[in-house]
Amino acid sequence: MKSDVGRLDIETIFHAQYERIARVIARVLRDPARAEELAVEVFLKWSRNPQAQGEDSQAWLYRVAVRTGLDELRRETRRTRRRSLLRFVGYAPTPEDVRASREDQDRVREVLAAIQSRQAELLVLRTQGLSYDELACALDLNPASIGTFLTRAEQAFRKEYIKRYGQQ
Amino acid sequence: MDSNRDQWVEDRLASLYPASDWQPDTFRGLAQFRKQREKVRNRNRRWGWLAASAVAAGLPLMAFPTTRVFAQRCVSACVGQTTWVRNLFVGNRPSSAPSTGYVTPENRKMAPDFVLDDASGKPVKLSEFRGRVVLLNFWATWCAPCSLEIPWFIEFQNTHRDSGFTTLGVSLDEGGWDAVRPYMDQRRVNYRVMVGNDDLARLYGAASLPTTFIIDKSGRIAATHVGLCSKSEYEADVKAALNEQ
Repeated sequence: MKSDVGRLDIETIFHAQYERIARVIARVLRDPARAEELAVEVFLKWSRNPQAQGEDSQAWLYRVAVRTGLDELRRETRRTRRRSLLRFVGYAPTPEDVRASREDQDRVREVLAAIQSRQAELLVLRTQGLSYDELACALDLNPASIGTFLTRAEQAFRKEYIKRYGQQ
Repeated sequence: MDSNRDQWVEDRLASLYPASDWQPDTFRGLAQFRKQREKVRNRNRRWGWLAASAVAAGLPLMAFPTTRVFAQRCVSACVGQTTWVRNLFVGNRPSSAPSTGYVTPENRKMAPDFVLDDASGKPVKLSEFRGRVVLLNFWATWCAPCSLEIPWFIEFQNTHRDSGFTTLGVSLDEGGWDAVRPYMDQRRVNYRVMVGNDDLARLYGAASLPTTFIIDKSGRIAATHVGLCSKSEYEADVKAALNEQ
């Protein structure tokens, strides 16, 4: 009976949060289907961690979701870099690669993968529409310093973007 | 507060919006979530059963001396096969003498001679026991299998002493006589015990305890037993050595 109640709570929170969590991950990944898979993994981790299931569940889910998304993004970026190296030894890019590389989204994602993790997490969650208080709670930062952190993160983003692609 | 935000950066980040026709499918996600949780739960349950079965099988096996000897034999046989692997990783450390059955007289090696003081301070020289069969047991007070064997050796000493048999014990306790003497008194050990050292243990290849040698009347090693052995095996070896001319 007790486990049914636990399961009900977990599934209620899954219903309430899944879409938001999947969207956070989809923001940094090219493939929405992969984002949904990773969102399920985030909930699995959460369901196995009783400490994460308190009042701060939402903050925990956001934090782990953005980190999972950025980790996957970095892996993806490394894979792409390896492929571009293979081009020299005869690897032909797929039409999907060609199409995707033209998109501005990929530039932004590459920059996010290159800057400091904490700064990338902050920018992604901010674009998701989280308030300063929610950001502070999700990333375990002092709410009074969020503005400063955000400004530094934006500066780092701008600097890295211009270094790679110039002022556009 | 937001007026300070960098519009240029915001415009770039705004391009990250997923395609407008994409909508996360909560029901599909939930089905996947339930499936994965069930898989994890089953895996944990399997490991639990496996651990419980191992304990259930191990407990009766270790509860009785006969089954314990059998289990130890099985482990020794497996470990024996992998000696070369162990040597590969741990290097050329002094290895234990291999257990042997009863060796035919022409294939026996001489037991290295030694002189050690017994509990009363009298020197014991192995070569002085020529003409008698000697059971030479390397042991220690902290070694549980050794404690099982000692009553057997006491009994052998009582039974076969007059037929030309002697038991000798060499303790490898780091605590020396302070550890060995109370133990001997408590167990009423009726044979001579000496405190040995690493050099002697290395000379005999007694890297693990207990290690027991049956030495024939000519001072040659007739049998070597590493680890806990059954009483009947020791007795058979002793009798065979006593029956030799």
